[in-house]
Amino acid sequence: MVPPRKKAVKKQLYVSNRRRFLFPAAFLLISSLLMILPLEGMVVSVKAVLSYVFIPQVRLAHGAVKYAEGVSTTVQELLNAHQENRELKQQLEMDHLLTAQAESVFKENERLAAALNMTPVRPWKGVWAKVAYREPSQWNAVVIDKGFADGIEERSAVLSLEQGQEGLAGVVMEVMENTSKVLLVRDEDFSAAVVLERGQEEGLLTGGGVQPVRIKYIPLLSEVQKGDKVFTSSTSSIFPAGILVGRVRAVRQDGSFQTAQTVEIEPLVRSSAVKELFVISGQEKP
Amino acid sequence: MWKMCKLAGLFVAACVCHWGFATLFLYCGLNVNFMLVFAIAFCAVAQLEIGYPMAFLCGLFLDFFGAKLFGNNAFSFTVAACVVYALRERFDFNSFLPQMVTVFVLTCAVGVLNSVLLMQFTNSSLWPGTGSLVGGAFVGAVLSPFVFAVVRFVWIDLAADERL
Repeated sequence: MVPPRKKAVKKQLYVSNRRRFLFPAAFLLISSLLMILPLEGMVVSVKAVLSYVFIPQVRLAHGAVKYAEGVSTTVQELLNAHQENRELKQQLEMDHLLTAQAESVFKENERLAAALNMTPVRPWKGVWAKVAYREPSQWNAVVIDKGFADGIEERSAVLSLEQGQEGLAGVVMEVMENTSKVLLVRDEDFSAAVVLERGQEEGLLTGGGVQPVRIKYIPLLSEVQKGDKVFTSSTSSIFPAGILVGRVRAVRQDGSFQTAQTVEIEPLVRSSAVKELFVISGQEKP
Repeated sequence: MWKMCKLAGLFVAACVCHWGFATLFLYCGLNVNFMLVFAIAFCAVAQLEIGYPMAFLCGLFLDFFGAKLFGNNAFSFTVAACVVYALRERFDFNSFLPQMVTVFVLTCAVGVLNSVLLMQFTNSSLWPGTGSLVGGAFVGAVLSPFVFAVVRFVWIDLAADERL
């Protein structure tokens, strides 16, 4: 007679062995059937059911691989940014040195100007503003996001950066609390006293709207050539001297009885490209 | 329920890793079968009631993308699971060497078996090339300790959760 404990162990072993055999046999049979059956009908149905299980994973996997592919580019950009950051820090240190040198030069200039009884050149101070709005029908006037609350005054000179160089952009016409209207160089109502780089002849720059920007009253015998730089003059009541306005585009000597020639210039700051402006404040106005 | 969620999570992770490694090593001309590594690791850790269905499902996942024959991977993965369960009583799958050797040998064997099955049922060959197969098996063997560790970590925690 077999004891009941031994009998139970024997039965458990039998079940375990049966499972060990049945599980692989069942799966091998199913996979064999899948292989034997033609790739139509039932197999297609099985595939369709499986697609609901596998497709989301495939999409997830594909997304992960795509993301991983982009990692090297991102790391490269990060490394470049690190290098660029280092270079910019060095540049900043150099700029600090240059600023200190410029300050000493300004002080020296003030001392010399005082000794010679001349008006000293002051560094520009002001605020940066962004173009907040521009009227499509009046392309040569823009509204900026700074007003008298930020220290902006009427008839202040406005500069802008173009191709990494600062140039005259216009003049402040109206000031409200938080916004101001700026008349750009191309506007017909704009005018400024300017000086030509080559012969230091002075003239009056006027905007032309759709016509070219012109400098009037340049003496007939003055030598002006295409590409000459034009700067604001020290005689200007609004603009500080030495701001680059643009370059000479053409010289016209119309009519036999003219006593002056007209110079067409190409403003450095393009009206259509103006986005950020620097408004000079604290200028002494007459 | 929690057990099923963890199993599903493991399976999804394996699918994603398989896709990633297959794409990554495709450029090197290596046929890396990460699903097989995962199936072997799972069978080495889990009970056969869960190990066989998981191995079958992993094979079915690869069959899903095949065009010529459906079920060959499921078959060969089930055979691989049989081998793992047979070896489990003799091998210590807690150490790296048996894990790596098993994965290497079984990856090569599954590659050969798949090619034989394809030749038998469709009269066409899907031989990936000896270098590609052995290289892929080697990569799989190198990856296997990590896969075993992850599967064991999840499974043992899972078992502990079950006891609680």
